This record gives sequence, C-alpha cells and structure tokens, in this order.
Amino acid sequence: MASKIISATIRRSLSPRTLPHIRPLSTAAAVTAAAEPYDETAGISMKGVKISGRPLYLDMQATSPVDPRVLDAMLPYFVSRYGNPHSRTHLYGWESDEAVEAARAQVANLINASPKEIVFTSGATECNNISVKGVMHFYKEKKKHVITTQTEHKCVLDSCRHLQQEGFDVTYLPVKSDGLIDLNELRSSIRTNTGLVSVMAVNNEIGVIQPMEEIGQICKEFNIPFHTDAAQALGKIPIDVNKWNVSLMSLSGHKVYGPKGVGALYMRRRPRIRVEPQMNGGGQERGIRSGTVPTPLVVGMGAACELAMKEMEYDEKRVTELKDRLLNGIRAKLDGVVVNGSTESRYAGNLNLSFAYVEGESLLMGLKEVAVSSGSACTSASLEPSYVLRALGVDEDMAHTSIRFGIGRFTTEEEIDKAVELTVNQVEKLREMSPLYEMVKEGIDIKSIQWSQH
Amino acid sequence: MSTAVPPPSRKEILSLFRSFLRSSRQFSDYNIREYTKRRTIDAFHHNKTLSNPTSISAAFADGKYQLQVAKRQALVYYFYSPKVKSIMDIKY
Repeated sequence: MASKIISATIRRSLSPRTLPHIRPLSTAAAVTAAAEPYDETAGISMKGVKISGRPLYLDMQATSPVDPRVLDAMLPYFVSRYGNPHSRTHLYGWESDEAVEAARAQVANLINASPKEIVFTSGATECNNISVKGVMHFYKEKKKHVITTQTEHKCVLDSCRHLQQEGFDVTYLPVKSDGLIDLNELRSSIRTNTGLVSVMAVNNEIGVIQPMEEIGQICKEFNIPFHTDAAQALGKIPIDVNKWNVSLMSLSGHKVYGPKGVGALYMRRRPRIRVEPQMNGGGQERGIRSGTVPTPLVVGMGAACELAMKEMEYDEKRVTELKDRLLNGIRAKLDGVVVNGSTESRYAGNLNLSFAYVEGESLLMGLKEVAVSSGSACTSASLEPSYVLRALGVDEDMAHTSIRFGIGRFTTEEEIDKAVELTVNQVEKLREMSPLYEMVKEGIDIKSIQWSQH
Repeated sequence: MSTAVPPPSRKEILSLFRSFLRSSRQFSDYNIREYTKRRTIDAFHHNKTLSNPTSISAAFADGKYQLQVAKRQALVYYFYSPKVKSIMDIKY
C-alpha cells in the first residue's frame, strides 16, 4: 500500500513541472487528499511580522544552506550505514570508520595538511576552546601570556577571559580602522613567556582577511604556536597550513555548505603541538576529543570540503561579481553608504555596510523579506553595537546602522537586485522621515550642533 | 588489456545536458533550482574545449554520477519542501 502511494507521488513529481508554487502534497496527505484549495495569500506570520513567502537568504556568514550533493553523501549514513565508527567487531563499525577516515582525508586536502593532523569536533567553538584553553593549560608552567585581537570571535575572547581569571596574561591587539592588525604592534607585544598567538583568518562580521603569512612568519621567528579561527575562510580563500605556518586551525562544517554540529581542528605534527583535552572520555580522536564521532555529519563535512576545493574558483568569481552588483546598485541610488573594513584585503562574500542618518533597528524591521544580519550578529541579544565595529573606530551612530550582506554559492542575480531594491526603498523611506537628514541636506554639520539640555 | 571505452558522442553529451536541465527544473527550492541550471550550463561550456578522450570520458562519467545525485535530491527536496515558497518564486 505504501509503495503504491510512493510510486504515485514519484510519478507526479517526475512529470513535467507546471507551476512551481503549487503546495506539494506529502505522502501522508496523498492518502487523505481531498482537493484542498491552496491559499496563495497564506504567507507566514511569525513574531508579529507578516510576509508572503520565505525571505531571500543573504546571511551566509551566520550559516550556509546544505548543498544537495553533501546531503546525498550523508543520507546513507542515516539510513542504513548507521554503525559506530569505533566498533571494531562488525561491518557496521568498519564501514563507518572507513567513511570517517575518507572524510578526514577530504578535509585535510583542502588545507594542504595530512589526515593524521585532523581531529573532528562539534564545531569551531569547541575547536577554539580546545586551542586556547588546551594549549595554555598544557604549557602553563612556562608560558603565561596569550596574544589575540579585539575583533576575534566571542568564543576566543571568552576563553581568553576565562584564562585571565585563572591568572594568565592576555594582550588584545587593537586593529586599524580597516580592520587589519598592525604587525609591528604584534611584534612588540611578544614576550618570552608568550604561549599562543590567536588571530582569525577572515572576520565573520566585516570579512577582512588578516595578513596570515606575515603573522605566521613572526610566530615562526619567535617560535610561538599560531592558532587561527578559519571557520569563515575555509573553502573561500585558498588555505595552506604550511604557507601560513599555523599550528592550530579551527574549521567549521556549516560555513562551507555542510551540516551544522561538526567541525575540525587541525593540529600540527611537525613540530608537534600538545593540548590538554577539554572533553575527557574513551580516548577517541587520539585523546584530544573523546566521544563518538558523528559519522553522517563528518561525512557531510568531508563532502563539503571536497566540493569546496572543486568549486572555489568558480564560486569566488561569481561572488565577487554579485558583490559588485550589490554595492554598485546601492551606491547608485543612495549616498552616505560606508563599507566597514578594508576594501582590498577582504572576502567578497561578506559586505558590511553602514547607512548614515538611518536607525539600525528600524532599517532591519523594514527589511523582513531579506534575511540579513545587523553588524552585531553575535551580540544581538543586547542593544550595544558590535564590539568589532567599535574596535574599528566606527562612530556609535554608524555602528548601529550596519547591515551585513552575506553572498554565497546559491545567491542569484535576481536576489541581489531585489535586495538592492528593498534596501534602497527602506533607507529612503527612513531618511525621508528623519529631521537629522533634513538638516544635513540643508548643509548643517551635525557634529557642530550644541544639543541643549532640558 | 586496453579495451578503451569510446568517448561519448555529441548526441550523448547533449542528452546528458538536457537531462540535467530537466532535473534542475524539478527542484522545489528556488536557490537550488537556479544553481543547478546555472552550474550545468557553465560546467558544460567549460568542458567544451576538452580534447583528450580520457578526460572527456572522465568528465562524462562524472556528469552521469552527478545527474543521479540531482535526481535523488530533487525527490528529497520535493518531499520536504516547505508549505510557503520563497519570495522569489511568488513575486516573479
């Protein structure tokens, strides 16, 4: 009976497609299918917002959709090959282990490392925790100092704060107004007891690419382990652990069109870097991260990395074109648009714009048909503007109105055009209502106004 | 030992191309549909200049495998497609 329903649905689906927006009947509904009148005006209503369809997705830095080819690689490991890779006694374990090792090689290939140097974890946050806290705890007799930047991801900054509470010293390097660190400042803050330098490769909020090779050279000179959070960089810019001279690298699965919940930590073997494990248990993953390795997720991450290697050039060209289209489209209709962060040393898929004389929250509320994030994505619970933008020296009012557009593999030209149209409309509408903008148009310099106290 | 498989004929390649486009139309997700269409066209264009018969056969075999992936995933995406379509499908 069930096979009849399935074959009927399959026949229906493989017949020539007519209208793409007919609501599909699930196999369960096919049994009870009276002709349900589909409601095109139904739309979605959530959190007080009504939109007619799913928003177009321009938030690739938060997460990326799973590529269908990755899903195809993962499904067998959910359906039939569900063994635990650490079971040594039967086929299920053996085939699962084979898949994990194959995925390990795929991840290693993308960063020019050896498969023996890859440890699978639950995500980049766990990798960052292992790197920062694990390294410092291991070498805590001799090394008491950590150098990082002010624009790092929250998990690195939080781990450093935890270390500070335990008695370690942490130097937070400031960044220049384009988001890059000053190499001379890095050099001068190195001490004899520095145990780790942690600088993220591509920033998640502003997209700037730090000078990784130069930092690697400095760390090699002083013989200090170099850790980088390459979650946003993986699959987008070419990564070579030997050129960059990194000892530890955090990688994340769901930023390269893979599944959420998996990540990988690269740990150099020559010279060997040792860490104290943060997850104790049965000694899996060479004792660094105990716990059953999630085979389907790991296979997904491996497939995603292999895809990324094949598609990197094609994607990069396309993303740059789309970014130019977006930026030029917005700049053609609006003035007072500032790109936050360096425009040269930047990953094209991350466009962080600030619109002058516009309030950020109201801009976001009007952009409900576009899924974008404001600059303060990681700190979105609080009202304070993003610490990254503050570190860049951006004014409070500009920091509040920043929007981060994330362009990825699946973004189309029509989506970009629509995003441009919606953003321009909303900004114009808000500026129309703004008395501040009126004053600016009349030529008054806002900074010179003496606001009276009441 | 060399029983060389003859490289695919122009007709076979065109038929594969058309199958890909047909399969891409069946994706219920707007982004994946557009991506599959665009990527197929770009990939076939890029491989048009291949002259070495082994590389042509390899690319064709890879294409056939990818077509099977696309067909499977079109079904999966169909079964799990959301009730409300993407804005891009509704307005356009």
